[in-house]
Amino acid sequence: MRRPGKQGIGSHGGRVLAITMNTFTQLVRMKVFYFLVVFALIMLGSNFFDLPQHGLPETFGFSVLRAVMSWSLGAMTLFSMVLAIVATALLLPRDVEDRTLYTILAKPVPRIDYLAGKLFGVLLLLAVSLAVMDLVMLGVLQLRMSLFMGQVEAMEAAGQAAEKVARMRAELLANGPDWSLQGAVVAVFLRAAIMAVLALFISTFSTSTLFTSIVSFLVYFLGYFQADMREAFLRTTGEGLGVLERGGALLLTLVLPDFQMFNVIDAVIEGAAMPLAVLGKLAVVAGFHLLFYLLASWYVFAGKEV
Amino acid sequence: MMKPWQRLGVLAAGLLAAGALRLPVEARWSEEMRAAGLLRQGLQVETKAKIGQTFYAVALGGLRTLVATFFNLRTIGCYESLDWGKMDEIYQTMVTLAPRTGEYWIAGAHSQAMNAASYYRNDTFLEMSPLDREANWRAAVLRGREFAEQGTLNVPDDWKLQAFLGLLLTDRHKYRVFGDPDATFEAAARAYRAGADAPDALPFMRRFEMYSLARVESRRGEALELARKLYADPASRNPLLQKVCFALEVWANPTVVDPLALAVEVFGSEQRAYRELSQYWLHGGAGLPMNGVAIALAGLEAKLDVPAAESVLQQSVSRGRDGQDLEE
Amino acid sequence: MTDATPAVEIVDLVKDFATSFRRRKLRAVDGVSLRIGAGEVYGLIGPNGSGKSTTMKALLGLVAPTAGTCAIFGRDSLRVDSRQEVGFLPENPYFYKHLSGAETVRFYGRLCGLSGRVLEDRVGEMLALVDLEEARDRRVGGYSKGMLQRIGLAQALVQEPRLLILDEPTAGVDPVGSRQIRDLIFKLRERGITVFLCSHLLEQVQEVCDRVGIIFQGKLVKEGRLEDLISIEDQTEVVLRDASPELVARIEELAVTGGAELVRSGRPRTTLERLFLRETMKGGKDS
Repeated sequence: MRRPGKQGIGSHGGRVLAITMNTFTQLVRMKVFYFLVVFALIMLGSNFFDLPQHGLPETFGFSVLRAVMSWSLGAMTLFSMVLAIVATALLLPRDVEDRTLYTILAKPVPRIDYLAGKLFGVLLLLAVSLAVMDLVMLGVLQLRMSLFMGQVEAMEAAGQAAEKVARMRAELLANGPDWSLQGAVVAVFLRAAIMAVLALFISTFSTSTLFTSIVSFLVYFLGYFQADMREAFLRTTGEGLGVLERGGALLLTLVLPDFQMFNVIDAVIEGAAMPLAVLGKLAVVAGFHLLFYLLASWYVFAGKEV
Repeated sequence: MMKPWQRLGVLAAGLLAAGALRLPVEARWSEEMRAAGLLRQGLQVETKAKIGQTFYAVALGGLRTLVATFFNLRTIGCYESLDWGKMDEIYQTMVTLAPRTGEYWIAGAHSQAMNAASYYRNDTFLEMSPLDREANWRAAVLRGREFAEQGTLNVPDDWKLQAFLGLLLTDRHKYRVFGDPDATFEAAARAYRAGADAPDALPFMRRFEMYSLARVESRRGEALELARKLYADPASRNPLLQKVCFALEVWANPTVVDPLALAVEVFGSEQRAYRELSQYWLHGGAGLPMNGVAIALAGLEAKLDVPAAESVLQQSVSRGRDGQDLEE
Repeated sequence: MTDATPAVEIVDLVKDFATSFRRRKLRAVDGVSLRIGAGEVYGLIGPNGSGKSTTMKALLGLVAPTAGTCAIFGRDSLRVDSRQEVGFLPENPYFYKHLSGAETVRFYGRLCGLSGRVLEDRVGEMLALVDLEEARDRRVGGYSKGMLQRIGLAQALVQEPRLLILDEPTAGVDPVGSRQIRDLIFKLRERGITVFLCSHLLEQVQEVCDRVGIIFQGKLVKEGRLEDLISIEDQTEVVLRDASPELVARIEELAVTGGAELVRSGRPRTTLERLFLRETMKGGKDS
């Protein structure tokens, strides 16, 4: 009789998939998650109300559309960050507490499969939530756009100059959603993915959800300074910085992630276009972190006694 | 079996190695993105004082544009309380957070050069001596220009910002604040040119560049060349263009050209020529060339039997560089 | 796969734990060796803190031994594939509360590499085996203690392992549930599955096990066949039905002449447990 569970790649996939889907459903059914979802929806829903923004009449439609985009991406950033950190931070401690960890590892499940499954479960949750929020944002933008379009058409019907109408229409479309905006949403996801794998790594040697969360948030904020420290190390050649300070800058540069690179998102909201190559670079950076820190987590976890 | 501290050592070494691998790649890619204008310098520490602690933390968290929109909300309060100083600060903060948003630069410059200036000059409830009013008005206008020019450095390809700057510099009530008129008009021409060069600029920018050049005696040659190019395209041949072209042609060849004949040729008929040139004569903008206009008007009045009492040439006009704005 | 390979082979297992005081290490298991043949039911008994759980964890590869080896059907415990043949039911198990009974078994089945039709059939089979078919779609979060134990058995057996490890399988379970678990163990033994259980409920171990080991302060102090260990060698038991007092007196005389002594006669007692079961089973199965 052939025994199932041979250690080929396919079997790894099956196990990882099982743990991924299990983690996903576990997180979705948690009350905490519902609260966050409501919070995010409120933030997005607030776009439906006309928040006063000051704009000159020439800047037709700009302020409202821009406000919708920055609110939505802001909500997405906050939500994905909290989710990535907190959801990941509680996974391992909860399994240890509930002793479900024993039952899983008592099956022929390599520890890397277990960690990978947990991580991918969180990533799946992030992707799905961001996709939903993205759809809501696009819906709101489309609604606003069509309202403004209606105004433009009314002007056309009222006999305004064709050139002016065309200009307003073009400007409206320029301020509306485009592929760069979608790229920005993907960038939000990638940034959150990096935080998730970092939180996973920290949780392998911390036993407390709270501690893991706090350290992760700290790493997140410091990650925005990493680029400055890197510049400090690379640019200054000794004048103005002592050896100790340079050493410190180097150490932090090597250990922290660079989140300033993700400020491309701000640029996109301001109207810049995000070339696919840039998104690709961000994806490579995220992929590197995911791979390395997953392996590092495995290294720590493999030596851990449960 | 490795001891715990040995495992820790391996881990630490791995972390540092991974960081070392990342370092050059991330540095290079960040540089490329900065060059492409996708990344800005890190948030400067001075801004922290202005936006306060929480906002700083949030702005660092990659939500700068969101924070900027919050500040835009605050400006409304300033408009109601007429606190122009605070308004200036808020706009400064906004453009620090979102430096590539042309609209913020325009709004900030507009609030100073137009709104604040108008307030100081015209507000009846303001208790201030005429001298102080004048001084504040001047300061506001200058501040507006400064802000707009800073904006063009940050967002060089925003044609609307350049248009705003150009309009401010050629505003008949305000151009004198900026010192030497020639220098001012040349600056306006530069702004219009930069804007006209932007890919999505409207056609009027090029015309306005030409008008600005035409106001400067030493640049009228360039203006004429540009004017002829513009004139060649029937679509851009609007009344003001026709008038300025007319004047420039006369300026270029004062002995050869017959103003009257040229006027009729340009405007199509004697009546139309008279109507247009009268308007130009009475309300022509600051520093625009008037060569041949008087002669043509005289000739047209004769041809059209306009009574001497109603002659346009008799009406008082303060020449020099006063006149109406160029809005068409 | 020859039958000569023992199901479990633990050789000189030593496990030290570092405590918060740097110098002193806690020696939880101190040179334990035991061997369980295929098809046996082995009970490891000892007080709390004697090293039972640690021994099990070492066998399952959950902790790495400080010294010594553990093997399951010849495969070292530190290898992941050694666990293909093992099903484990931990003490006071909790499972993912958000899953239903069937989903839980299915999840563990997937972890073992089962899928599709085979998996579905197995899930159904296991739920029937542990008598949880009515509750299969209810969330595990709402299960009683006995149901949790049973679903735990279902997941342990989902991949048809040849070895079953049970840590305190009847702790905290009511007598009816205990009886069901015991019956299950008997059924499994009939199928040829080896059972290794840890308990400190000695009565129950006595009912079920073939061989027993007593562990105390990390050392295996006694081991052997149950019968050999607990039979009081110099006594014999005879139980009669419908015997008159005269018959009993005659047997006593017989004993004395044979050189023996009648230690005790009277009515044997049933156990409180049997009485309880007799009364409650009438009322139907438990929830």
